Amino acid sequence: MKKLLLQSTMMVLLALFAVNIANAQQPHVYINPGHGGYDSDDRNMVIYPFHQGDSAGSWESKSNLRKGLALREILQYKGYRTSISRVTNTTADDLALSTIVALCNQSGADVFYSIHSNATGTSAVNNFPMVFYRGYTGSPQVANADVLAADLEPYLYASQSTVWTHNYQIWGDWSFRPEWGTQGYGVLRGNRAVANLSEGSFHDYIPEAYRLLSFYYCWMEGWNISLGADKYFGRLDYFAQGVVTGNVRDDRIKRLQENPQPFIVYGDDNLMPIHSATVRLLDQNGNEVQRCVTDTLRNGIYVFKYVDPGTYTVEVSEPSHFLQTATVTVTANAPTYQNFYLKRVRDTAPVVVDYSPVWNEGDPAVKCSERIVLTFNWDMDSATTCDAFTLDPPVDGTFSWEDSYYRLIFTPKDAFDVNTLYTFTLKKTAEHGGGTPMDQDFTMQFYTQKRNHLTELAVFPYEGAPVNYTKPTVELRVDSMLDTYNLFNRLHVLDSEGNELAWNKRSIKYNKKGDDYGFVRIPLTKDIEVGKDYHLILDVDIADTAGIHLPAARDILFHGVDAGADKPGMQVAEDFEDASNFEISFPMGVSGNSIKASTERLFGSKSLQLDYDMANENILVVNFNNPTTESYVRGDTLGLHIWGDMSYNNVYVELNDPSTSPSMSTLIPLGKIDFHGWRYVAVPLDDLYDGTFHVRSFHLARQQPLMGKTGTIRFDNLLKKESSGIDEARLANMQVRVAGDYIVVSADTYVQGVELLDIQGRAIKAAGNNCLNVADVPTGVYLVRVHINGRTATSKVKL
Amino acid sequence: MLIMMAAVLLPSMAQEVEVVSRQRLLEGVEGPAYYPVLNQAGDRLLFLSENGSLKFYDLTDNVTTTVTDGYVAGNDACWGGDGKVYFVTQQVQENHLIYRTGQLFDPTTHKTAQLTEPQHGAVRAVAASRGGALKAPGGRDYQSQSDIGSAAWTEGNRVHVTVNGEERVFTPVDSWAGYLWASLSPDGKKVAFFAAGKGIVVIDLRGQMLAMLGNYEMPCWYNNDYLVAQNAKDDGHQFTSSQIVLLKADGTWQTELTKPASMAMQPTCGGGKIVYTTIDGLLHEMKINIYE
Repeated sequence: MKKLLLQSTMMVLLALFAVNIANAQQPHVYINPGHGGYDSDDRNMVIYPFHQGDSAGSWESKSNLRKGLALREILQYKGYRTSISRVTNTTADDLALSTIVALCNQSGADVFYSIHSNATGTSAVNNFPMVFYRGYTGSPQVANADVLAADLEPYLYASQSTVWTHNYQIWGDWSFRPEWGTQGYGVLRGNRAVANLSEGSFHDYIPEAYRLLSFYYCWMEGWNISLGADKYFGRLDYFAQGVVTGNVRDDRIKRLQENPQPFIVYGDDNLMPIHSATVRLLDQNGNEVQRCVTDTLRNGIYVFKYVDPGTYTVEVSEPSHFLQTATVTVTANAPTYQNFYLKRVRDTAPVVVDYSPVWNEGDPAVKCSERIVLTFNWDMDSATTCDAFTLDPPVDGTFSWEDSYYRLIFTPKDAFDVNTLYTFTLKKTAEHGGGTPMDQDFTMQFYTQKRNHLTELAVFPYEGAPVNYTKPTVELRVDSMLDTYNLFNRLHVLDSEGNELAWNKRSIKYNKKGDDYGFVRIPLTKDIEVGKDYHLILDVDIADTAGIHLPAARDILFHGVDAGADKPGMQVAEDFEDASNFEISFPMGVSGNSIKASTERLFGSKSLQLDYDMANENILVVNFNNPTTESYVRGDTLGLHIWGDMSYNNVYVELNDPSTSPSMSTLIPLGKIDFHGWRYVAVPLDDLYDGTFHVRSFHLARQQPLMGKTGTIRFDNLLKKESSGIDEARLANMQVRVAGDYIVVSADTYVQGVELLDIQGRAIKAAGNNCLNVADVPTGVYLVRVHINGRTATSKVKL
Repeated sequence: MLIMMAAVLLPSMAQEVEVVSRQRLLEGVEGPAYYPVLNQAGDRLLFLSENGSLKFYDLTDNVTTTVTDGYVAGNDACWGGDGKVYFVTQQVQENHLIYRTGQLFDPTTHKTAQLTEPQHGAVRAVAASRGGALKAPGGRDYQSQSDIGSAAWTEGNRVHVTVNGEERVFTPVDSWAGYLWASLSPDGKKVAFFAAGKGIVVIDLRGQMLAMLGNYEMPCWYNNDYLVAQNAKDDGHQFTSSQIVLLKADGTWQTELTKPASMAMQPTCGGGKIVYTTIDGLLHEMKINIYE
């Protein structure tokens, strides 16, 4: 009896000793599923069909918990000791960071995993695993935290059930968040276990958000973390089972994009995940070992847990797709990934079920901008379908697919020719996605309209236009109503260095129904620089409401000028400060006509504003009640500052000599109002009759049937420059030539000086003799003013 | 020195607290300091440096001593009733298991002694009225003497209370994740601890609940009637605010001693003083007056 008692006691002691030895070697892992509950800090991704705040939708707190619970289950199955900070997903579970750390420390754990998923928080879309430990990268605060991370990340990154955009990253949190100093992540502060914070993937990559809804997918992340722990503790050979997992997708149907906004997808995530697919794991005798069904949450994930090593067949079936199988080899303590790309069951030949344009003999002609659209009964094979597409006469264009290869769109590169009968044929060699061709060719015809491009009526700035520097206005006029959607993005003003200038979009004007022509008018937000070159770019896709676009893009060079710059030698003949001196004498009694002072001026405090309506006339006359006191004689120069409205009306000035009887008048053309904003116009009065003339009126003459009936123009400082009186005969021998870096003037007499002026008459530089160094002057066309015998002569020169 | 007055009035009881003084400790002398622990007299302070070593600061002679360069396990170095420091160091073995060793530091002699052999799993220092103990659930414990007097400590979702050598175990509130930060009131009549998901709980020595004080952390007894605690908020990754609060032990009154933006945390009390640190490891000493 004593012997028996002794034996029993010894056995109990040995058993206790064995348990103690086992416990002494049993790794202890503390699991912290990050966050908790369905609150504002629990990372709710709004994905279809779930609404904001719907607990059935995508929440980081929820997927973190599923991963954490899976990890706990797997580690316990593998013989680990575990602790976990929460097992439900409520606000009360969202423990404070200090509490989580203290719980881990109190537990005596060897390793701590805080389980999360990531988000960029920006418009950038990424997907890759990251892991953090406390300290600087490569220098962890708790020894081996970097080793734990390095053991974990390859297992996460090996997942073939997701689509990674980048390789995995391992960071010390002090290096990753230097702006936090050494504060770092809260669950790593003061944590005495070898601790990692794992961001397994990015939940703001929408396909990943759907995967994170899958229990299977979350379980697999737990499995992969357990492998990291196995490797860290040297236990990869302790466990004798593996897993089989993967993704079931259609082999070509595109993923639905039913989120509030289209979302970015990478790689195989473009393909539709298959819902409710039955996935069976069969042994070599065909016996079912395990079975699972993919969920209906747009992820297609399946998994077979705890599978004994060996060779198996994975069989996937779903009624609308052909059954597919794959042979897999399962290895202990390693995942086996097997993705499937199922082919749809397409049991009839493809046919065109809808098309456009639809045209029959006698129907109105088809727009030249029309696209050819074919809709099929099956998703089509792109290569054979595009190859089967013919047009007679041939047209260059591009193909695109919509609705996951159900709809083919042909867009002509430019536009169809006008007044042309096109015959379109889709040959029966076109196949659907399953490889079956059509039974017969599909043919249709259409006849095109007589117009295939927008016609530009006018544009400002036009090529080479001088443009006053203050907030210039750009206008394009075409022969039909422009499509105004995003139109401002199709016009660009670039400076000489290619920088784009901003539009003042609040002041944009568009054509509206009933207008005589289509137009867009839009000012820049800022002034341009005087003396600089600019480009107005018109994109080719500026189109009218019928989709008819410009025949080609335009690149229009223009120059910044100061219309109000000082004009040396010019006297002010009229400053237009007092509007009462002016009246519209013809046509009379039109309500839209008025004369008034305007503060939009170049000089003084006012300009003269003419709001006009030609009514049924083609001429409008503004009289000076008191003609200018300054008089003009032949050889003088008359200058006027005009604020244009791009009316394309011509402006004339009437000069009158009251000393003759009857008084003699002449109309001097000042040019066409083909511009917006201020411009200085100067005309030499070389052809004036003998006499002394005063300005008596302005005339506005309409030139274009569609433009210039109504509008507003302004006038400021009318100038006069007296004739130089130079004896042209004497200067006939004056010669101006460019010799290397110099302009050299020679004449029969002494040259007192040379001035270089720009084309607007502004002085650039001068010399007190006959030689002017122009080495530092940019190339271009200039004026040279030569001073001889107290008089001047001017000629053009090209540098 | 900043003097300020903070007051919260409740309908049932008008009370005020005056912050008499607040000053930085060890400014320019020590780097970041965390998890401060005052002794009962308030003249000696333990804290952890940034690299996890334990330091001892004698406030009377203004001298700092490094107790150990070894990595201190947990955050629970404590002052025993015998005036000695009980703490635990940890070492990661080749098999990556963490072994923990119970240690003793005598602030008088400045000598350190190993109390328990390194063992795998949790080993925690526990302060007791007559000394200290090292608790190793499932392992080998240590007590400074057979009767260590009164003590309180937590394990899982149980609070252990030892009175005159008799250990009692209570679970007065449900808490999946567990209990933390148990301590006896200075008169040894009450125990305060933290239940994860529930907050601070005050019980008597029979385990009867006296009060629940709210979801604050790291409670310490300021005196027999008041506790000081940490009120920290976070976004799941980092702290967004943290302050020190004063709580009446019967749950009838509370007020803030620092503002949420102060990022003040990890309070400890002793000798009528409150010492806390900040998120960046700046130690502060605060003195208050409570008017009832």
